[in-house]
Amino acid sequence: MFLIEFLEAIRDFTETGGQVLLAIGFLIMVMWLLILERALYFFIWHRKEKEHVIANWYARKDKSSWNAEQIRQMLVSRLDLSLKTSIPVIQAMVALCPLLGLMGTVTGMIEVFDVMAISGSGNARSMASGVSKATIPTMAGMVGALSGVFASTWLVRTTKSERLHIEDALQLDRHKG
Amino acid sequence: MTSFMAGGAMAAESKPLDLDALLKQLEEGKYQQNQQNASREKEFMAKVSEQDRMLREATDTRNNELNRSERLETSFEENEFKIADLNEALSKRLGSLKELFGVLQQVSGDTKNKFANSVISAEIPGRGEFLDNLAQSMGTSSKLASIEEIERVWFEVQREMTESGKVVRFSTDVVEAGGTKVTKDVVRVGPFALIADGKYLDYNSATGTVAELIRQPADRYGDSAAALQASKGEFVEFGLDPTGGSILGLLVQAPNLQERIEQGGLVGYIILAVGAVGLLLALERLITLSLIKVKVDRQLKSTTFKNDNPLGRVMQVRDQYPNADVEALELHLTESILGELPKLTRFLTIVKIISVVAPLMGLLGTVTGMINTFQAITLFGTGDPKLMAGGISTALVTTVLGLVVAIPTTLLYALLNTRSKAIVSILQEQSAGVIAERAEQTA
Repeated sequence: MFLIEFLEAIRDFTETGGQVLLAIGFLIMVMWLLILERALYFFIWHRKEKEHVIANWYARKDKSSWNAEQIRQMLVSRLDLSLKTSIPVIQAMVALCPLLGLMGTVTGMIEVFDVMAISGSGNARSMASGVSKATIPTMAGMVGALSGVFASTWLVRTTKSERLHIEDALQLDRHKG
Repeated sequence: MTSFMAGGAMAAESKPLDLDALLKQLEEGKYQQNQQNASREKEFMAKVSEQDRMLREATDTRNNELNRSERLETSFEENEFKIADLNEALSKRLGSLKELFGVLQQVSGDTKNKFANSVISAEIPGRGEFLDNLAQSMGTSSKLASIEEIERVWFEVQREMTESGKVVRFSTDVVEAGGTKVTKDVVRVGPFALIADGKYLDYNSATGTVAELIRQPADRYGDSAAALQASKGEFVEFGLDPTGGSILGLLVQAPNLQERIEQGGLVGYIILAVGAVGLLLALERLITLSLIKVKVDRQLKSTTFKNDNPLGRVMQVRDQYPNADVEALELHLTESILGELPKLTRFLTIVKIISVVAPLMGLLGTVTGMINTFQAITLFGTGDPKLMAGGISTALVTTVLGLVVAIPTTLLYALLNTRSKAIVSILQEQSAGVIAERAEQTA
């Protein structure tokens, strides 16, 4: 019973927000799924990978030749690449949230002006649905952008510092001389 | 020119074509009248002998008429008093009935208007005529309403009230969206809605016809209407328009997607064309980059260098210069990597530019639309809000189109940029490493 009421409340909310709100909701959902996937990867799989790579590196005899240097660079780059996947997409989605909100605003305003054009008066009651279609997506877009900005900056910062950590962990033997 | 005019005047004498001809005609007319007057005078002079007799006759008739007018005047005055007395007696005898008839006239007028807009009239047509006649006859003549008529007004109001509490099934002619008239089973929900076959109907009070709404509300409302029609008396959910059709009427006037796009005008079409180009380029890149990525991954795993992927081509540098020292090899590697880059990043800048330019073009369309709107306001004044609101909503359509194009292209650009950068970094950072690994394995 409670679930049905809850679903109906969601349905009414999406209807007052119009179709753009649905698009924003979908975008925010995908964005947070990607963010969660990244966070999980970083804390679980990436740790294992890193330990494995470091162990392999210190198992090598030669850690000073040109070959070794190139191999080290390759290892760092591979870890870095697998860390970085989908982060630019997340950033693009964060940037898109306010854009979609703006689109909702404009479509809502179009509806308001349409009502005015049809009824020929500024009747507040008849314009209300258009105004809510204009404001709710704007708010939703802002919510998505704000929540995404923190997550995406955290991801970018951790990947950068993680690369440095890996580079520090894989030491080259310098020739004395 | 003058000769032509003259020719025209000669051709049509009855209709004066120029001022000269008109003047001529006027002169002739005057002349004719003078002739007539002269002939009358002649006649008069000829009848001198009869003049006296005619004068006497004229005076007699005048005197008779004067007497008659006096008689009529006195009788008129007497009648006036009589009428005043009778009116007074009438209003005395009517007493409170006078107010009753006033109320009756007002009620029948109001009820007639109510019936005209009520969907119940679709089921019971011709209710308004009797009330209309009654209200008019009471307003103009001094005829009083009979008991039957008063009771009929009561009956009609009572019937409207009773019917507005019922959900009734009846069959009537319905004009479908295509324009054909079909007799259908219609369900009426009180004074609020008419439905048939899961579609909402509209009752036109002017013609008294029932028509399907050209645009129906959302599907779930249509489903609720169908459920109501199929129900056997149990309770079902039903979405009704409490305004009695005006909200549903607004649905019809709201433009659909195609009309909206047409409102965008030339700028709108240009934006859509640019967006289509951007999407096509992005799709081409998506497919190509995916294929390259698959081949590069295969190359990373295999030991033989293939020519069909950038990594393989870079790796072959080692075989081409087997005797080169480390620095030379690095230079050759860098050179061949630089040769691969343009193939990977082709079109990406165009996609990015489109994602940036599309909203700007939308803004351009909006601003030009606004300029046109304000131009119209300058001409016609702000008396009509419809003019301004319609213009602004049309102008804003291009902004929407710009955003509609910008949003997917931005996402696609981010996606493609990640993919191409991944391949590029494999080439730049890992190719040397792969070569080194191979060298160690073979050594």
